[in-house]
Formats: sequence, C-alpha cells, structure tokens
Amino acid sequence: MKNLLILYIMLFWGYMTLHGQNKEVLYDFIEIPQALLLNPGMNASYNWYAGVPLISGIYAQGATSGLTVNDIFAADGLDINQKVRDRALYALSKRDEVNGIFQIDILNGGFRGRKDPSNFYSFGMYVEGYAQNYWPEDLAILAYEGNADRLDQRFDLNDLNASGQVINVLHFGINRQLKNNLTVGARIKLYSGILDINSTGNKGYFVTSEGQNNLLRSTLDADVRFRSSGLDALINANDNGESLSGLFTKRGFFGGDPGLGFDVGVTYNLNEQLVLTGSLLDIGLLYHTSDVLNYTLKGNASLEGVEIILPDALSDPNADFWQELVDEIEELIPFEENDKNYVTLRPIKFYSSIRYNFGKQGEPKQSCDCDYQNDSDFRNLYYLNSVGGQLYAINRPRGPQFAFTAFYQRRFGDVLALKATYTVDKFTASNIGLGMSLQAGPVNFYIMADNILSYGNIADSNLASFQLGLNIISWDGN
Amino acid sequence: MKYIPKYLFTLLLYLAIVSSCAEKQDFDQLDNLDVIPTAEASLLYIEAPERIINQVTGTNFYSQTFNFDAFSEEFFADNILDGIVTYEVENTTSKPLDITFEFLDDAGNSLDSENFIVNAAPTAIIQREIAYGPAGRSLDIIRNTSAIRVSAINLGDNTSVSSLPNPSVYLRSSAKFRLRLK
Repeated sequence: MKNLLILYIMLFWGYMTLHGQNKEVLYDFIEIPQALLLNPGMNASYNWYAGVPLISGIYAQGATSGLTVNDIFAADGLDINQKVRDRALYALSKRDEVNGIFQIDILNGGFRGRKDPSNFYSFGMYVEGYAQNYWPEDLAILAYEGNADRLDQRFDLNDLNASGQVINVLHFGINRQLKNNLTVGARIKLYSGILDINSTGNKGYFVTSEGQNNLLRSTLDADVRFRSSGLDALINANDNGESLSGLFTKRGFFGGDPGLGFDVGVTYNLNEQLVLTGSLLDIGLLYHTSDVLNYTLKGNASLEGVEIILPDALSDPNADFWQELVDEIEELIPFEENDKNYVTLRPIKFYSSIRYNFGKQGEPKQSCDCDYQNDSDFRNLYYLNSVGGQLYAINRPRGPQFAFTAFYQRRFGDVLALKATYTVDKFTASNIGLGMSLQAGPVNFYIMADNILSYGNIADSNLASFQLGLNIISWDGN
Repeated sequence: MKYIPKYLFTLLLYLAIVSSCAEKQDFDQLDNLDVIPTAEASLLYIEAPERIINQVTGTNFYSQTFNFDAFSEEFFADNILDGIVTYEVENTTSKPLDITFEFLDDAGNSLDSENFIVNAAPTAIIQREIAYGPAGRSLDIIRNTSAIRVSAINLGDNTSVSSLPNPSVYLRSSAKFRLRLK
C-alpha cells in the first residue's frame, strides 16, 4: 500500500509536464483492448486480441474554448465585424484556445504469455497528430485595431503560442498481474516525427509611448522563435517530385525525427468492489534533426522616426538617414534563419480513477486453469454495474488543465457494455459522453462520443470527439 | 423490461452521432470581414541649436532632402485608406523662423508642402494636423512620397541669442494611418 501511495504521488507530480487530450469514455473501459493504450496497467482479461488494421482505433477531437464556429459564422444577419469584436476580440483571453487531435491505429494486437500467463503483451503502431493555438489576445488587438491611441499599452509577444505535430508511434507494452489485487504495466514507444511546427515560449512586447525627442517612441523587445521540422519538405514535395503519401511514409517509418517515450500504469483493487487506477502516458521526447527550419527575431530597439540633430547631422551631406534607421533596426533586432536541431517534449497525460463495482451477474468466467484470471482480471466483468470518478490533468503552455469525470458503466452479459460519462473541463461543463462495446463472438466493435448534447448543433459546440474501432478478441486460452 | 436501458442507451448514442447536425453557417461572411488597424509612429525629428543658425550666413540656414521610403513601401502604399500627419514646431531661439516641410516624389517633384512661420521665443508650440484621404488631401501624395525636404529660413538676425536654456528650434512629426489588411 505504501508503494502504491508513492506511485500515486509520482503519477500526480507527473502531470506537471502534461499536454494532451482527454479520452474519458475509453479510459478503463476494460472490455475494449484500446483502453490498454490509456493505462498499460489495466486489468486485461483477454488471451489475445487483434485489431483490424487501420480500423481498430480511429479517434478525432476538436475543441475550442470561449468561441464556437457558430458564434462567428451563424447565418444570423448580424455584421461579422461586430461579432468578431464582441465575441472574439474583446471576449477571448490568452488562455482561450482551439485545438484538434487525431489518432489512427494502423496495427494493434496483444497476447498472453505462454510461460507466464500473468503477463499480457501488447504492441502496435499508430499515427497521431495534433494542432493547438492559443488566442493571441494582444496581437489580435494590434492587428485588428492597431497601436494608435494606445499610449503605453504593451502588446505581449508571449501571446503568440501555437504548435502542431504529426508522428508515427511504434509501441510495445507489458501488463503484469503482480498480485491478486495489483496489476502494473509499462509501454515503450518509438516515435518517428513526420511534421512538427511550434512557436512557443516567446517573450517580449511592443509598446508605443510618449517620445523623448519626437512625438512618439516605438519600442520592440522581442525574443520570438518559430521552429519546424518536416515543413519545408512538405511545402516543396511537389517541386521535389515527391508525393505527400510517400513523404509521410518515409518520415513516419523512421526516416523522420527519432524519439523515445514510455507509458506506465497501475490498477489496484482496494477490496472486492473498489478499484483504483492511474497512468502516465507519453513520458518522452522527440529530437528534431531532419529538414529543420527555424526563424528567430531577437533583440530590442526603440525609435522615434528619422532623427537629425544639428550640427552632427551636417557632417555627411550625403547621409541616407532613412536607410541608416532601417539598418540599425535590423542590426538591433535581427530576423534570422537557422537549421539547428531541437527537442520537443511529448505531450504527457495523467489519468486516474476510482471505481465501485456492484450487482453481480454471476461467477467469473474461467476458461483455463490459470489462476491469474481467478480474481482481479474478471472481477470487474462479473459485476453488472460500475460507478466512479476520473481525474485527467494536462500541463499546457498556459498552465495545467484539469478534467473531472463521473461515470456509470453497465454490462449486459458478455455481449454488451455501455458507459456514460459526465465531464467538466475548461471547454464545457455540460459534457456528456456515451460509449458502447459490443462483443459478437470474437468480434468486438466499439463506438463512443462525448459532448453529445452539442450534436444538435455541432457548429455551436466547444468540444466534440468520437472514437470507434473493430477488434477480434479471444477470451480462450492460447 | 430489463432490456429497455440498453436499447435506450444504444439508441441515444446512435441518434447522437447519426443525427448530429449543424445550424446553417454562412462562411461567405468572411468576405465582409474588415481588418483595418490604425498604425501610429513618429516620422521625422530635427533639432537645430541657435548657435548653428547664427553661424550660417544668409537667411536660408538649413535645407536638406531626406530619403524616406516608408510611405512608398508596396505593402503600405497598397493598403493605406486614410490618415493624419501631425507636425509640431517649437522655437526657443531669439529669432522668427520660416520652416517648410515638403513631400517629394522619386523625381524630386514637390507633391505637398506645409509651411510654418514661428515667432521668436517665447512662443507657443505650433501643432498642426493634416488629413489625407477622402476627407483631406489626396492619398496619392502619401503613396508617391519617397523623400522629405525640410527648409528653414531665418527671419531675424545672426547675432542675438535667446536667454532661454539651450535655445533651439525643434521640428517634430508623426503619422497615424489606417491600413486595410483585409
């Protein structure tokens, strides 16, 4: 128990570097093998499973905070300029964001160890991509309204914060039942970065103030960078006679940026009916070494227009004061390009849950003499109902984000399992998700979606996601 | 009866996903979006001490043409809608002055000019705003400006010195323009 407590503390501290997306319906949905990707220490009761290639796991999510597509583009007869002013420019803050993520399982499978059936191995490959952009509050005002009549108002360059990444992930995991009431798991991931763009951690400001000599003084203090890997090749693919699919395949199969990551997870049965789980995912990094193209703008300059102070200015009658000013600015704040390699941390996710099972539907199915199955693995499955709560946390560039989920799960024999969730996070406080796992013989089909109340008008939704997949699962001895 | 919850649940999930829809969106509104910031910055600052004015023989103590490409930059010239140029002249010397700003094109032709007659110190600061665009002078003046000429004529003597500290003439200017980015 002490060790478990330490593990939980470690997991919780781990969220401090988190960044990712919540899959609250799939988490700990033990009837679905893809849930192992969210907790490698999940109670896995299968003997083996094989995901149907390319369709074993398809996931997509889009989220915006503070603003929806409908807010701006609804055919409501209102002036779009007024809507942009009222609903975006003066309503959103730098903490508001828009993001999207997708994940497609290419291969996914798992099998129980022959020599030691308390071990379950899983492996696979998936492609994942995300893009996120925080609302550049100050820069949006600067672009939309300008700097006029805003004396001494600083426009923060840190508001520029955007990133996106597409990677291919090859993974292998081990899930081991250590005790009747304790299962742990770990997964190693080899990343191959296909595309990475980011402009984060920017510093500086632009301000217009009263001039010391002239009427106005404009100051730019900048430490801004844009980094990319794979972007140049993507843009010039046509010119280079390369197809996009060929480029993605080449970079996705270890011709791109290398990376390494780990997942860890645990399931602990406090008693017959009460279960704790936790996991940390994607503890890793990518080293961007291929097709790197970076831009930087770094320095400080203040100017009050072209300044001519006599008699010094008379010393060179042919002086080009304008060009000297331009040259001075370029020297003080150089805009530079480089191809230096860089490292990005992978988005790490933290999940945990507490689940209470009740309503037995019979004795646990025992398909072999392996005593690893007698207790915890099937314990969850022979209860009809589960209720509980989940905590999800991520650390984004603007600080940590949390999601709290309450769920109810209902099983109908070995055939059907349903899960309903209610989640509160920064995007919405009315997120109801539903998930279904249907087991028809060896064929497993699952489908889930969240924030379903918004599906009546998806354009007015702050969050929408869905996931589905098809697996072949064997519950028999291998 | 016991099957009702699962059918209800499955039906709900099915309906949620399959019947998801969106109210009519009009993305053509984007064509009507106006992004028109107003940018403001200093233009030109000239400072001439009285001792320099006194050293120059003749009345035209200063005349210089400056290359000034900011207005004729393609991005600026293509997107300017209107604007205001603000001038400020401060004279703390002992002599009245006649100062002229001129906007010149590539060939050195004068496109526009602004003249200031300032009295000897003590004198109030003269400030003047000139509008360009539909409500003012032609925007083509701004678009075609590639140089500024400043001329100053001493309307007084070459010997007197103001009792004010560091007597000089100061010419200040700034511009505020609206630009259509979209």
